[in-house]
Amino acid sequence: MKNFVEKISEIDIRDAFFDELYMIAKNDPQVIFLTADMGAFSLVRFRNDLRCQYINVGVAEQNMVSIAAGLALGGKIVFIYTIIPFATMRCYEQIKIDLCCMNLPVTIVGVGPGLTYGSDGPTHHATQDIAIMRTLPEITILNPSDSVMAQASARIAYRNPSPIYVRIDKGKLPLIYNETRNDFLEGLSELRYGSDLTIISTGTMTHEALRVAKELDNRSISTAVVDLYRIKPLNIEKLLSIIGKSKRLITLEEHSVTGGIGSLIAEVLNDHQRSIPLKRIAISDQHCFESGNREDLRAFYGLDRSSIIKNILEWI
Amino acid sequence: MQENLSKLKNKAQWIRSQVLEMIASAGKGHIGGAFSCVDILVTLYYGGVLRFNSSDKDWDKRDRFILSKGHAAATLYAILADFGFFSTCELHNYQKKGCMLGGHPSRKTPGIEADTGSLGHGLGIGAGLALSAKIDKKDFMTVVLLGDGECYEGSVWEAAMFAGHHKLNNLVGIVDKNGLCVNDFIKDCLDIDPLDKKWKAFGWHVVSVNGHSIGELLSVFSDFRSPKSNKPLMIIANTIKGKGVSFMQNQIDWHHSVPKGEELEIARRELKCVFKGNPKIKLLRK
Repeated sequence: MKNFVEKISEIDIRDAFFDELYMIAKNDPQVIFLTADMGAFSLVRFRNDLRCQYINVGVAEQNMVSIAAGLALGGKIVFIYTIIPFATMRCYEQIKIDLCCMNLPVTIVGVGPGLTYGSDGPTHHATQDIAIMRTLPEITILNPSDSVMAQASARIAYRNPSPIYVRIDKGKLPLIYNETRNDFLEGLSELRYGSDLTIISTGTMTHEALRVAKELDNRSISTAVVDLYRIKPLNIEKLLSIIGKSKRLITLEEHSVTGGIGSLIAEVLNDHQRSIPLKRIAISDQHCFESGNREDLRAFYGLDRSSIIKNILEWI
Repeated sequence: MQENLSKLKNKAQWIRSQVLEMIASAGKGHIGGAFSCVDILVTLYYGGVLRFNSSDKDWDKRDRFILSKGHAAATLYAILADFGFFSTCELHNYQKKGCMLGGHPSRKTPGIEADTGSLGHGLGIGAGLALSAKIDKKDFMTVVLLGDGECYEGSVWEAAMFAGHHKLNNLVGIVDKNGLCVNDFIKDCLDIDPLDKKWKAFGWHVVSVNGHSIGELLSVFSDFRSPKSNKPLMIIANTIKGKGVSFMQNQIDWHHSVPKGEELEIARRELKCVFKGNPKIKLLRK
């Protein structure tokens, strides 16, 4: 049983976000875009048409955040952009103080969640960012799973009066959401219903969760899938209402097992005295120095489909 | 002019005495670095340099002052209270339970423009503010006060490069060059000289002054609002850490020690011998 659409998006998920942002910025000269020397196909138009609203600050991420804070103090609505480790960890303290303590309307657009930049090695792997970013009290964290959600994320970020972090994947992903759907205010959605097991996932791994669920269904294990597209603030009420029906929970993420959405769900279960068995499938507590593409590295961590299914079958 | 200078000097001593009482009462605070920047802040606020309105802290045309060396907060608090940004009663509760005046500045306090305390943030924030003014063709100035020890932070130089490249001549940086960090003299820790050449190399117009000479400081700020250069201005203010109290001056021990007993009495005598009461100053608005 499912309530999601199944077709490949015609647009790269990054372009969906940036095309929407282009339209927003075109209509609002207060919007300023800063990049730490990171490009994207759809940013070429932004750079050419909106020259006064686009600044390449160079590979100086700490400064990018502080500049963004200053611009926001001056009344600007600022978007800053680079690869996730550099957009979050490199300048974490600037995010904490300049953006969060001062609660400014700055959007951090991070590209390349998880093992997106697989062959580039641990320097480029984004597997700890959710853990550190979700400890910041003022921040909102969005992790869109398709181009429809990515497009909506640009609008949500633009209207958000506080700091917001958007994790954007790469490539043309299957569509999960209907293109007419445009609010995404609930923070999570139940994409698929099932009575034996609920898989909670986020971002691109949600697609893997859907495929795994289909295979488990074929083995007569009725599997639900929840797309947790807003990691913070978590819609606890809705989450509890969904998982209240579940016999078992799986969290599936391309992020460290420490501090990611698995930890988040475990915290919620504990804090609300829900004793539902939970298995966290995530990146184990080790860096990966092996070369290879994203699929190869997922296999290294046991996050390829057959390993995930094996892991689940052994557990239930 | 001479009369005005003398009043500003008295005001500076009075601010030091306020800072002394605040830190002594709180039992904590960074007295050395707070004293070294008193004359700079007094010049900015009482010398008619900065444009501000204490009854409208969000006044659009106000100049933005960022205390990047946030640990000198006590000095700024004493000045802001004197202008009525908040009650002077708050100063008595500095760093105490429930008081808005913490060890480092926060925008929750009227008159504070940026949360600082972690070093190396203020110049980038100031550069962003100055850039926003350029974009919007607003004429407010942004002034950032840094410490010399703070210049060890790499982010300072990221911001320096940005401001120089973007020709933010509506941005003024001041280094309170007191020659000391927490545990060492700057020259023994990592020598940052020639500091002026470093800023020049990053595209700044650089002026060095005696940071305790209000006259020299005033003359540097004379064309503050209409700079002849298209470069951001860096003022290297040579100062003495702990300035004003003989046994604190240029001493490693007085970064954040708190004077007690006989020391406190000596400090009080040295600061209060100069004048009696809070000197009244007629502001020269520019």
